Parts: sequence; C-alpha cells; structure tokens
Amino acid sequence: MITAVKHDYKGEAVKIGFTGSRRPERARLGPITGVLSFRWIVIAFVLILWFVYYPIIDNFVVSTKNQDIFTGETAYVGLDNYRRLQSDPVVGTAILNNTLYAVISVVFQVFGAFVLAALIEGLSEERWRRFWRAVYFVPSAISITVTGLLFYFIYQPDIGLLDSALTQIGLADWSRAWLGEEQTAIYAIIAMSQWQGFGYSTLLFAIAIQKIPRELYDAAIMDGAGTWRRLWNITFPLTREMTGLMVIVTITGAFQVFNEVMVMTGGGPNNSSQVLGTWLYQQGFIENDFGYGAAIASVIFVITLITGFAQLWYTKTRRVDL
Amino acid sequence: MKANAFLSTTSLGSLVAAAFVIGGASGVAAADPVVADPSAAVEHSGTISVLTKFGLQQLSPFFVDAAKAYEKLHPDVKVELIQESDDSVKGKTKALVASNSLPDIYFTWTGSWGENFVRGNRAVDLTPVIGPETEWGKELAHAAVSAFQYNGKLFGIPLYLDAKFMGYNKSLFEKAGVSEPKSFEELLSACATLRKSGVTPISFGNKEGWPGVHYAGQLLAYNVPQATLEKDFVPATAEYSDPGYAVSLTQFKQLIDECSDGAGTNGSSYASALQQFSNGKSAMYYQEIIEFDQATAEGALKREDFGFFKLPAPKDAKGDVKAIEGAPEGYMINAASKNIPLAIDFMRFVTSAENGKILSAPPYGQPSATVGGYSAETMNPAVVDGLKVIADSSYLMPWLDTANPPRVAAAWLSGLQALIGGSMTPEEVVERVKEAAASSK
Repeated sequence: MITAVKHDYKGEAVKIGFTGSRRPERARLGPITGVLSFRWIVIAFVLILWFVYYPIIDNFVVSTKNQDIFTGETAYVGLDNYRRLQSDPVVGTAILNNTLYAVISVVFQVFGAFVLAALIEGLSEERWRRFWRAVYFVPSAISITVTGLLFYFIYQPDIGLLDSALTQIGLADWSRAWLGEEQTAIYAIIAMSQWQGFGYSTLLFAIAIQKIPRELYDAAIMDGAGTWRRLWNITFPLTREMTGLMVIVTITGAFQVFNEVMVMTGGGPNNSSQVLGTWLYQQGFIENDFGYGAAIASVIFVITLITGFAQLWYTKTRRVDL
Repeated sequence: MKANAFLSTTSLGSLVAAAFVIGGASGVAAADPVVADPSAAVEHSGTISVLTKFGLQQLSPFFVDAAKAYEKLHPDVKVELIQESDDSVKGKTKALVASNSLPDIYFTWTGSWGENFVRGNRAVDLTPVIGPETEWGKELAHAAVSAFQYNGKLFGIPLYLDAKFMGYNKSLFEKAGVSEPKSFEELLSACATLRKSGVTPISFGNKEGWPGVHYAGQLLAYNVPQATLEKDFVPATAEYSDPGYAVSLTQFKQLIDECSDGAGTNGSSYASALQQFSNGKSAMYYQEIIEFDQATAEGALKREDFGFFKLPAPKDAKGDVKAIEGAPEGYMINAASKNIPLAIDFMRFVTSAENGKILSAPPYGQPSATVGGYSAETMNPAVVDGLKVIADSSYLMPWLDTANPPRVAAAWLSGLQALIGGSMTPEEVVERVKEAAASSK
C-alpha cells in the first residue's frame, strides 16, 4: 500500500496515490491485463539478465583465460590472473588509492556535507537557503572532463592558480607540480573530486533535513537545546538513513572512480595515481591483457558487492520513520 | 529504500560493462589471410568507413575535404569518417578490434602496433597492389612503404613521413648569444646560457609519458648499436644488457634536469609545452616534423623565427649518430571489409600527388609519402629542410612505444616518469624494461 498525504489549498488533508489493499486493485485489472503486466516483467527480467548478470558471469570466465584480441586466441589459465594480482605492486597502490579516495570522500562528502546542509537549512530566509544550495551545487553540474581540465590548469607548476596563490601568501616553498609528483598526484585528484561532489551531497542532505518536522526543533528550543545539541540529537538521528546511503554510495563510487584519474594524470607519474579502474583499462586496452583486466574487474565487483550488501543491511536496520 | 538497492545494483552492473566488451567480443577468431587482388573491379557504390588520426581541429579538414572530393567523383559512394586524436586513437582502435568492428580503413603506426593487425589477419596483404613494381608502389616513397613490411609482405599505405627534431626560437637564441649546438654537451651548455637569460631552455610536458620516450628513443639510437636495439625490440631475443641503455637514460635525466623543469614536467602535458614554445616563453621544444606548422600557426613565434636541428649526439656515442627517430605513418585496409577494392581505390585517391601537395602544405604540414606529393613553393621551408635531414639519415629509429610490445612500452613510459621524478635510477628503469620484456615472451 502506497499512501501519501498532502494538504489542499484549504488546508484539508487529501490522500493521493494507491490506497487500500492490493487484492481489489488486481481484481479490477482483470486476468488479461494481469498477463500483459507479467509480460513486461519478463522483458525487464531478460534485459537485466542479459545486460547486468550475464556480463558479471562472463567477466569471471574471461578472468580465467589469456586472450589476444587481435588474433582471437584464448588460453585457459585457471586462477593465474588472480595469483598475479597478489604480486602486482600497482594493484596494491591502486587499492590504497581507492581506499584513500573512499575515506577522504566520506569525511568531506558525507560528514562535511551534512554539517553544511544543516547550517544552510538553519538559515531563517528561504531565499538565502536557495542561494547557498545553488552555490554549492554548481560544481556538480560541470562535466568531469571540464573539471579535470580546469584543475589541470589550477595545479600547473609555477603558473597555476594554486602555486601562484601560495607564492602570494608567502608560502612559495609549498608550491610544487601537484599532478607531477608521485607523492601528491592522487591527493590533488581527490581534492578536485571533493570540490565537485560536495554540493551534490549537500543538496541530498538538505532534502533529508527538510523532511524533519519543524515541531521537533521548536520543542527542543523550548527545552533550551542549543544549535549543536539540536544537530546531534534531532538532525543527525533523523537523517541517519540518508547518511547511511551516502556513506555507501560514496564508498562504492570511490572504488569505481575512473574519469577523474584518466583526465588528470592517466594514472601517472610512475603509476602513483593508478586506481583499480584505470589499471583495469591499462591492462585491457593498452597492454592488451584482457584476462588480467577482467581479474581486476572481479576485485572491483567483489568490493562493491560487499558494499552494496552493507547498504541493504544498514538501511533495513537503521530506518527511522517519521 | 528499494531505489537505493537498485542504484547499487545498477552501478555494479555498469562497473562490469568493460567485461561485457571483453567477454562478448574478444573471442572472435581471426579469419584467413586476405590478399588484395589487383585485377578486382572497383564498384563505386556503397559506404566505406575510415578511422583517421586527424582528429585535431587543425588537421581534421584534410580527410573531410578528401572524402567530399571522392564522393563528388563517385556520387554513389559515401565515406564515413571517425577522426581521433593522437592520444585517443590507440584506445579507440583496440575497442574497435575487441568489438570486431574495425572500419574498412584504419590508421596504423609501424612496428609492433601494425604487426598486431597482421598477426590477427585483420589487415589486407597489399603486396600485389603496392609492391615496388606496381603502378601505385612507384608513386609512393619506397622506404615508407617498406616500413609496413611484415614477413616479407606489405600491409600499410604510408600517408606521410615523420621524425623528431628540436625546434628552437631564433630570436631567443640570438638574444642569449647561443648558436645551434653541435653536440649533446654543447646543448647542455646552451641550456645554462639560455636559463641565465631568463627563459626556459626547453619546454617539456610528460604527463602522457610518451614525450619522454621520444627523447630516450633518439638517445638510445646514439648509444646502442642498431642491431642490438632491433634484437631487443623482440621479446624472444631481448636482453637489454647493453650498457648504452643506462648511459642514454643518464643523459636523458641530465637533459630534463638542466634544460627543463625537472620533476615538475610529469605534471604538464605535451600540448602545454608546445603552447609555451609557441608563445615565446621557452627557447626549444622537441617536436615532430608534422608539428612544425602547428608551432608557428598562432602565438608569438613567427615562422621566420623558427629553426630546428636534430637532437645532437653525445661525444663518444657507441651507436649510430646519423640515425634519427621517426617513422612514416599510414593506413591499413580491414581484411573483413565488404568492399576491399573500393577501400583501396579511396586510399589511392587520398595518396595522389595532388592530395599529397595539400597535405604537405600549411595548415597541415604533414610531409606526404607520395613521390612528387609536395612542392617546396607551397610548403613551410622548415618542413622542406627537415625532409632533407630525414633523407640523409642512416637509420629511422622507430618510436619506442610502438616498436615494443605493449607491456614493454608501458614499462618505458612509467619508468621514464619515475626517472624524471627521481624515484628510480637509470639502471632500475632498464631492469624494469628487461623484466617486462621477459614477461612478454
């Protein structure tokens, strides 16, 4: 049963959407309509099977082979490609970089965005709330290619905006080739990603906060609760569902990251900014080693699958209904 | 919260989309070798598709115009162009191979890159129509056609010649009191003088990895005997034991540190470095002859201020000091094409002397591989002089990243970035390349 309530212009409650049990609804549709509906389900199931589950299974099959795309020759190698993963130092670097991406993104795009959204939604005037939401959302509307190029110029050694700013404030010693040094390249990319993703998370949190009844805050104020107390005791628990979702989506996204790295460094210098996605591409499409590329894809799949299950479990156990 | 679960599931699905491409297409077995038939009648109807490397805005009109002219001659023919840039054409080509959808005509480099298509029987053996005794073969520079020879057969159609030169700004040289260096040691000395005059001696961007490989390739030709290089290009015979490798890399590191911006160059792109040179902010830029016109197309550097010289050889070099790094670039015909005679006919049209003259002149500046395909009157004089240097060279050293198997090429690319950044020594880079060659056997 899906029910929603809204208030009409006179202030009287009006029910919208489906109401009542499913049985009378189905009976009203009749057997022919029911069969037709089932047909659409079958079509959707076949499409999902073909475009989602078949590639997943096929990927595991490919990872047990060595294939040459030019000749079409295939040799079964069992789990050799997975054993190779253990001794490949770049895989270790890539997993570490993905993990860094995930941790930093959770701090900024989940907890940072949550605090910012609460501050914005705490503003008294709606026009200012709209204004700040828009200001923070704009970077998310820019394509990753454009953002990558923009930050490429910001990070340019000596002439870039960042190094120039550091020089201007007397920190010239800190200026460096941010994308050109092995120690800083991945952090420079992650920083750009925070800049772009922060506003989107803030917007989602703002929507979640808007759903919290105003009366709860009014009551808390009457009880003498301050801003941080209200944030911690009302806003945070009642947006837990969104927070959980954002944590999982952010971690999953961090292990799927590809475009940002390709545009800015291509995984260099010396593979220092490789992530699993770019290393997969490098192996498959540059080094022509599709079996090993598929094995890397399997690793990404397993990590994101575990994260996906964690999402289901978390949202099931921590859901708070208002 | 069902939507969230769906979101997660679909993102997982999209993650393995690459696997779909891999698994769904790469299992297609290559067909039998296909040989061009010189007596086959050309049916001037239907569609032919062409994958070019002329995606750059300045170059793209060449194939567009050629296609239009061909369609005008043969109204029932439609030419479909897929134009990619130098950086994107590799990935695009492999994606097309993996999905078994190569176009009728596709771009190729020489060396192991072109060999991949021959190994997989994906290129038409053009020997009967482009061999030295054939009408078409006589119209093309023989050395350029031979560069696409594999197992004694000819598979490529050379479109233009290419080689690497050090372009320089004559005004900045004059201002600093520097003349064209005649040796590697003189080049380092010139760099010190130019730096004192307030300009960056050589603008260099190695974000892509291959610009560094080009320097290293020329230095390897100087320091390692040709026979050793060619033996080491083949994984089965590769040893990488010649001391000239480490010597070359030591010189390369010295050049980047003393003439350029050192470790910071790994964060700049090749195009940014060209821009710096074109704007008169740097005195030199290591570039291909096909980029001479781009360097002077816009910006502060005028054509009359542009000079060039071959990267000077170090004293006591053990290799071939008359060698130059470069190779012709060209096209292959897809063995699975439904209309091979038409594809060959189109490429004969593209490589005609008339089109060659258009290609060789500004704004394209790609020196045609067609005999009589260029005219000194219409070309940039620097390109004309560069062609003479190529003609006088004893050996064309192929690009390291296309001459070597992909894994070895990747080791060169990442190893040189590490060398520039200071995280590896020359000896360690050679060791990495050696290991990559061993694992490619």
